[in-house]
Amino acid sequence: MSGPNDDNHTELSSYFFEDLLDSVIVDIASECHRIARLGLDHNLDEEEEELRLSEEACARVADPSYNGEMNSKYVVDIFGQAHPPVATEIFECMNCGRSVMAGKFAPHLEKCMGKGRKARLKMTRSSTAAQSRHSRGSPVSAYSPYSNSTSAHRLANGSPAAGEPYSNGTSEEP
Amino acid sequence: MCARSSLYSNPKPCKHLSDYKLRCVSNGFKDLQKFIKAGSNGRARVDKDNTEVPRCSFCNGYRGRLFMCLICSSVSCSSHVGLHTQSENGHDIAVDIERAELYCCLCGDQVYDSEFDGIVVSGRVKDLPMDKNGGFEGVEGRSIKRRKLDSKLDPGINDDLKKARLLMSSRDQRQKSCYPLGLRGLNNLGSTCFMNSVLQALLHAPPFSNYFLNDRHNHDQCPIKSGGKPCLLCEIDTISSAMLSGDHTPYSPARLLYSWWQHSTSLASYEEKDAHEFFISLLNGIHENSEEGRARDDSKDKGDCQCIAHRAFSGLLRSDVMCITCGFTSTTDEPCFDISLNMPTSSFSFKGIANKAVKPNEQIGLSTLSGCLELYTRPERLGSDQKFCCQNCQGTGSSLKQMSIKRLPLVLCLHIKRVEHSPSSKRFLKNDQYLQFPFSLDMTAYLSSSIVRKRFENRIFAFECHNSDSSAAYEIFAVVSHFGKFDSGHYVTYLRIKNQWYKCDDPWISEVDEETVRASKSYMLFYVQKRLFNIPRVSPRRDPLASGSK
Repeated sequence: MSGPNDDNHTELSSYFFEDLLDSVIVDIASECHRIARLGLDHNLDEEEEELRLSEEACARVADPSYNGEMNSKYVVDIFGQAHPPVATEIFECMNCGRSVMAGKFAPHLEKCMGKGRKARLKMTRSSTAAQSRHSRGSPVSAYSPYSNSTSAHRLANGSPAAGEPYSNGTSEEP
Repeated sequence: MCARSSLYSNPKPCKHLSDYKLRCVSNGFKDLQKFIKAGSNGRARVDKDNTEVPRCSFCNGYRGRLFMCLICSSVSCSSHVGLHTQSENGHDIAVDIERAELYCCLCGDQVYDSEFDGIVVSGRVKDLPMDKNGGFEGVEGRSIKRRKLDSKLDPGINDDLKKARLLMSSRDQRQKSCYPLGLRGLNNLGSTCFMNSVLQALLHAPPFSNYFLNDRHNHDQCPIKSGGKPCLLCEIDTISSAMLSGDHTPYSPARLLYSWWQHSTSLASYEEKDAHEFFISLLNGIHENSEEGRARDDSKDKGDCQCIAHRAFSGLLRSDVMCITCGFTSTTDEPCFDISLNMPTSSFSFKGIANKAVKPNEQIGLSTLSGCLELYTRPERLGSDQKFCCQNCQGTGSSLKQMSIKRLPLVLCLHIKRVEHSPSSKRFLKNDQYLQFPFSLDMTAYLSSSIVRKRFENRIFAFECHNSDSSAAYEIFAVVSHFGKFDSGHYVTYLRIKNQWYKCDDPWISEVDEETVRASKSYMLFYVQKRLFNIPRVSPRRDPLASGSK
């Protein structure tokens, strides 16, 4: 079997590179062959179908003529009811007994339970991405209240500014 | 054609392989065992003579694929492998030296045999460091002890399954209104959509909802409530009854909010607005308030608790850490209520090489749920700064960590981490990229048994005691989506009931198309094991008479 018949470095490196490349390609071919023969990829058709459906769905939803979802303006729900932006149901606060409107209950309760902004402990928003990378899965702290949150992956709702009363999360449609 | 075992099929051997096995009665295979070594790429290879480079006996070539005859050990390259079997009658089966794969020279194809694979795996494993008990970490044989433990977990789950099936069939008959039972809006009490969205998903999770439907938690007998303390189970029970009452005016879950805040007094920030953290906090609280949770001995192993939160949502996550210096793998199992997944970085989605073919119509840069799961279960190199100390060799070098799922829960909650920290702007940003997710999900590839098998090149071998009772096939039933920016925005839940999707936007319940849900930017995905899921055979898209079809 002849090797490269001149000592040009480029040819020599191509020669070895080709060997390596061939070996890697056969590695992958051998793996795929095994997976196919052992039926480890029996879900391939279903997965492709799911991908196709998602792709079609995204395309359809992006189309300006699409009206499958009520665009931010609800008139009535499926039961034929309409709802005001702030819930108007009135009930008694279970902490102080006062009558409160449903949509303002949470901010009321916050003050009422004495958990005002001053009492709040500092949020640990300084967690870095590296820290969150190693917190895979949410561990079940079965014996103490959940307290080891890193705020690196929280998605809040409502207004973020401190010192302001709570407002409804407004629905922002994409 | 193939006999199907739970995870893979044992392919039917070709005539030549069967003949070889009859003749040699696996002596040829056994002799190879001592020559199985780990190659530089971590894969098994056959190393008969490590002083000389193997060469083709016909052309003396050393390049390309080389095959060694199992009978006479003569080596041929791929061009001349047919010549050997022509000259020597019966020398049909050879082994690819570089990859330890069987090759039939007459068929001209790679062939597979479970016995051979067993030899290869044993050959590899013999070089791995043993743990104290004489076993090999990461490669468990069938263990009787383990099987007993698994069956102990099942009684409650099997009960739930039976009840769930009964209830689902009977519920259909009782249904009078045209809208499904249990569908009701929830009032926003002041930025509480994070709570509403999770509640909607939870109350429609089959084993969880059935628990309350069956009145398994009795208010009057609840010792916590009678003691004047908040009981989260009582509150969920109240909400569940309210949802099923038939009253369609939106319900205000004020008592739950109050009880939850009371319960989590010691939280660093009780005013948590993240749906996922509320979900975890609520499940932990339910566990603590439950009879089973209170009775538990703190020091006992977590994960096999029989409270409704654990029975429905608890799975077991396995973490394998392999010391690069000595090869020893240490394994830890931890229970979890959900799995938090990172999204692949936007440049390209990770597809495990050779485990998923890349489709021609797949967009480059499309993030998929399977991509996230693959990212989660891929081996991660931990540098020597990770303070790892190998228990076998006491080395503190780098290690390889790999996550997998040891036991799947009945209800699988997948949390998509959409918050990124931007080091440049020192702010938290929301990753609003679209994530493709399937309605039918197969989790087999992410099980510990599959991951271990992948480490050994997918050899046919009984690596782990795979509990074939628990299936890995799931159907989606709820999606919690977040709209808006990182620190301000809105949560909405999409519920799938009898193959019709509903959007639950605080008090507003509306019907939506399947496409809307598929195209949404999901934050939490809720799947339930297929056997608990009752879906009609024909999807509405194909059935012209069903609603929602185009």
